[in-house]
Amino acid sequence: MVIFSKMNFVVIVALFLGIILNILPFSDNINSIKPPILLLILIYWSLAFPNQINLTYAFVSGLIMDVLLIMPLGYNALCYTITIFLILLYYPQIRLQSSLNKMLSLLLILIPFFLMSTIGNNFLKINYNLFDVLTSIFISVIIWPTLFSMLRFIRQKYIS
Amino acid sequence: MIVNNNLHFRQSNITSIKLILFLVISIFFLIIDNKLELSNKVRENASYLISPIYKIAEVPVEIYYNIKTHIESKNSLIKKNESLEKKIFIQSGIIQKIPSLKEENKRLKKLLNSSNSAMSSKILIAELIKVNLSPFSNKIVLDKGSENNIFVGQVVIDSLGILGQVSEVNNDFSVATLITDPGHALLAVNARTEKRIVISGTGDNRFLKAKFISLNEDVMEGDILITSGLDNIFPEGYMIGQISKINKNLQEDFLEVNVTPSSSLSSNREVMLLW
Repeated sequence: MVIFSKMNFVVIVALFLGIILNILPFSDNINSIKPPILLLILIYWSLAFPNQINLTYAFVSGLIMDVLLIMPLGYNALCYTITIFLILLYYPQIRLQSSLNKMLSLLLILIPFFLMSTIGNNFLKINYNLFDVLTSIFISVIIWPTLFSMLRFIRQKYIS
Repeated sequence: MIVNNNLHFRQSNITSIKLILFLVISIFFLIIDNKLELSNKVRENASYLISPIYKIAEVPVEIYYNIKTHIESKNSLIKKNESLEKKIFIQSGIIQKIPSLKEENKRLKKLLNSSNSAMSSKILIAELIKVNLSPFSNKIVLDKGSENNIFVGQVVIDSLGILGQVSEVNNDFSVATLITDPGHALLAVNARTEKRIVISGTGDNRFLKAKFISLNEDVMEGDILITSGLDNIFPEGYMIGQISKINKNLQEDFLEVNVTPSSSLSSNREVMLLW
């Protein structure tokens, strides 16, 4: 029970840092190609603890993002929920893969996210640049190994 | 083993129920958000929680600016001060004429029997909260809220022109929609011809679109557009921008006109709120 609550605490702190990183001000050029860092952190934790860090976390953090980013409520929640659902489906396979393959499967998992956000943008008439969105997804794939090892370090140090 | 399987099965069952539930909820939210402005209401009620998060996200930038001002050499500060003093000198020279111009304007308006447009009486300087909203949103967050009697529809300007209007007021911060937002439109006047022009945002901060200008209308590149005061939101006579490109296509019903906004829409640190 103690381990459970400690894990929750660490995950929530990590997610909070992800939220801060997501709204941290950058110049416009960087802002438009910024990877969805909160989603990546969520993906890591749901890979590590698929039974605890599940869709509820994804949905709630998506809603928080919607409120903070002044977007229509439900937009990020929808995208995050779908992505984390895919992780929950395929985590046994992804865990076994080498880091290069992990990058590829992350790319595959982010494609529905990209599709959903594009459909959402069109539906809500949000102006967007397709090239920038694609670039942000590739950047998130590129930074994934670093983020993964950082978060694994945190997990090994503070949880188990 | 059987127990384990059952557990696993139950878990995935819960997961799919959750998935469907959350998807339905979020799609429902998305559909009704437009009408009920749900997220505005959530922000209004949770503003005590949200503004600390914004403040935390601002900290690195604050530190950066503090270090920058600390490091900035004395020489460059003196130079900056000199140029600013010169600017103020010139501008106060120009301002001298304003009272007499105001009187003259009043007199002329009386002659023309038109209603007297009052100049705005009060100006409040608000700082931008420097958080990154989603890259494609045309909104800014201001650090003044209902505590400073800010209201929805209030006009936000900077030193160069109109920026937008306040679209949401919370306890200690408020959100302004820029004129470049795709859902925003305002009625402008061409300063040269006194013709009215509808201007709407494109989502791109670099240009606006002027709509419904017939093919034979008198517009030129470089025409200055100012607010008309007819929309009851923006007071008369503030700069909006300059016509930068006119595309004439005889197959279309209207001219395609691009307008460059005069205000610096993406590089402000402080803005002014008008009453």
